[in-house]
Amino acid sequence: MKIYIFGVMKNSSNKITLTYVLILLFVTVIGHKVVSNLPSDTISDTILKYSYIKDLVLILFSGLVFKYILYRNDKRNESIFEKLQETNNEILESNERYDIVAKATSDTIWDWKIEEDSFTWNKGIEVVFGYKKEEVGKTSKWWFDRIHPEDSLKMSVKLYSFLEQKTEKWQDEYRFQCADGSYKYVFDRGFLVKDKDGKPIRMIGAIQDVTKQKEEEQRLRLLETVITQTKDAVVITDIDTSENVIPNIIFVNSAFTDMTGYLPEEVIGKSPVMFSGPKSDILEFDKLKTAIQEYRECFVETISYKKNKEEFWVNFSMIPVTNKDGEHSHWISIQRDVTEEKERDKEREQLIRELTQNNKDLKQFSYITSHNLRAPLSNLTGLLNLVDDMTITDPELKEIISGFSKSTHLLNETINDLVKVVIIKDNPSIEKEKVLIKEIFENVFNQLSFLIGLHKPILKIDLEEITILNINKSYLESIFLNLLTNSIKYRSENRQLRVNISSKVVDDNLVLTFKDNGIGIDLQRNKDKIFGLYQRFHNHPDSKGLGLYLVKSQVEAMGGTITVESEIGKGTTFTIIFKNN
Amino acid sequence: MLDKIFCVDDDPITLMLCKKVIERVEFAKEIITAQDGEEAIKFFDDLASSQNNGEVVSYPKLTFLDLNMPVMNGWEFLDVYLQKDYQTLFPEAKFIVLSSTIDPDDVNQSMKYPVVVDFMSKPITKEMLENLKTRF
Repeated sequence: MKIYIFGVMKNSSNKITLTYVLILLFVTVIGHKVVSNLPSDTISDTILKYSYIKDLVLILFSGLVFKYILYRNDKRNESIFEKLQETNNEILESNERYDIVAKATSDTIWDWKIEEDSFTWNKGIEVVFGYKKEEVGKTSKWWFDRIHPEDSLKMSVKLYSFLEQKTEKWQDEYRFQCADGSYKYVFDRGFLVKDKDGKPIRMIGAIQDVTKQKEEEQRLRLLETVITQTKDAVVITDIDTSENVIPNIIFVNSAFTDMTGYLPEEVIGKSPVMFSGPKSDILEFDKLKTAIQEYRECFVETISYKKNKEEFWVNFSMIPVTNKDGEHSHWISIQRDVTEEKERDKEREQLIRELTQNNKDLKQFSYITSHNLRAPLSNLTGLLNLVDDMTITDPELKEIISGFSKSTHLLNETINDLVKVVIIKDNPSIEKEKVLIKEIFENVFNQLSFLIGLHKPILKIDLEEITILNINKSYLESIFLNLLTNSIKYRSENRQLRVNISSKVVDDNLVLTFKDNGIGIDLQRNKDKIFGLYQRFHNHPDSKGLGLYLVKSQVEAMGGTITVESEIGKGTTFTIIFKNN
Repeated sequence: MLDKIFCVDDDPITLMLCKKVIERVEFAKEIITAQDGEEAIKFFDDLASSQNNGEVVSYPKLTFLDLNMPVMNGWEFLDVYLQKDYQTLFPEAKFIVLSSTIDPDDVNQSMKYPVVVDFMSKPITKEMLENLKTRF
């Protein structure tokens, strides 16, 4: 508008001068005409002419002066105009720059006209925070409402102190709510626009989304707590091996101080070689040295020394780390005091050694004992065999010899059974062979033919066609022999003995059941003892309490299991399961 | 019936028992005994020196050897016997380990000696000897 007015004025300056001159000339000419036509001779013609010429000159002169004044005025206006235009251009340019910057930056720019409380946002509010154009509020309240409640108080205190110009700068970090309700960490910087009285009228701010940095910062802080809070000592060294074979320490955590007594400043810049001492393992040290030369990770266990020279067992890793360009930049070492574990290990090893020795001694002892028992016993048996052939006429002597013979044979059997147990216990890896169950039964029946003939039990044998087991033949024979003998020994006097023996393949297992209708065992009382050594449940003259113990030992030596069910007066069932593979 | 049989055992009762049983089944005509390995080696040493002197000696074709003996046990005896190469000097001499040991390693160990033909558990019985008669 102003520009237009100035333009009009400039063009019309000549016209105005011309009009002024013309009007004056017109008035002068008219005046002269009137005066010359007056019927008076009082004014001479000469004077009139002179006056006329003088008026014209005066008019021209004043016209020139007027023109000059107008010209000067124009000039001044022009320079003002130019200045204004310059300023105007600057503003335009600056506006343009602002627009470009606002577009180029990822920042969200806001502009707050304080007195009217009118708040405008740039595109960022939509792009960064996800608001739709129509959702964006037009007042500062909308802005405040979206600041995280935990941050708003602190933030507004700072902001108002800035608005009251108590502080020079304003920048703050707070959480700003997005359209979806989530919060972003933002960094907001603002400046004030003041009027000529220095009163703030506008505030313009730029919000930077620092969520990623913030999260990264928090992540790093979390990672840092691993190092600072861990109970394991952490040592970081550089990679310079020019001074020492093990590079110098640049960081230790507090757990390291707890472990060794050294404060960080006492070890930083020094090589960890300082922790080794006379009892440190030289081989482990060499291993570490080589690993460092080859940039390989390495695990070391050695005696190390604390600040107070106390020795302790340390277990540590030495791991090369690389910077983001993939270059080897540091070594990280995680260390642990394993003295207690070491001592426990030592104690355990000692204990195992002692136990192994004890076990060996006991085994030797049982062999020697059984040998020493067997040697005279075999003599007794041999001598009695000789007596058997002799005729003894004295009835009393005959009775004595008979008792002597029975006791000797019983003793012999017991010793033989015990010897078997010793051998089973000593030989966990017994020889296994393919065995046909039927054959074994035949063997057992042959051995028991006398007892079977005597008591005539009803034997029901239900074996699956071909049942081949990969087990020790003599053990299986002994198991059947013991079980069948037990059935006969502990038969009920009230009914004929019935024994059911069956074999079945179930899944991958071979299940053998051995069922009789004998006197049974009180399992409620004897559950734990039934397979125990020297456990007797019936007062039977031949009972030694060894049979079932032997059976269980043999079954287990072959990797099988045995269980029992029994009811007094009804009978007993044994179930033996072997894995058939 | 064998001409000579040699019994090596530190236990006099065992030796007596051996004698009695051998006599009963008429297993051998002559029974020689020794109380330990060293004495047994000495017996073979004497035989060897006699034989080296050109005498014709009759040596026992069968020896019952106990394992657990003082001074020199059965194993040591067998080692020395083989070391002295007596198995070539007395080619027909065989040994039967007669022991009350139950250590299964002993049984396996005894079978490693070429001169040992069997391992038998004490006591010696008539049945055992009758059985052996068919082999010797």
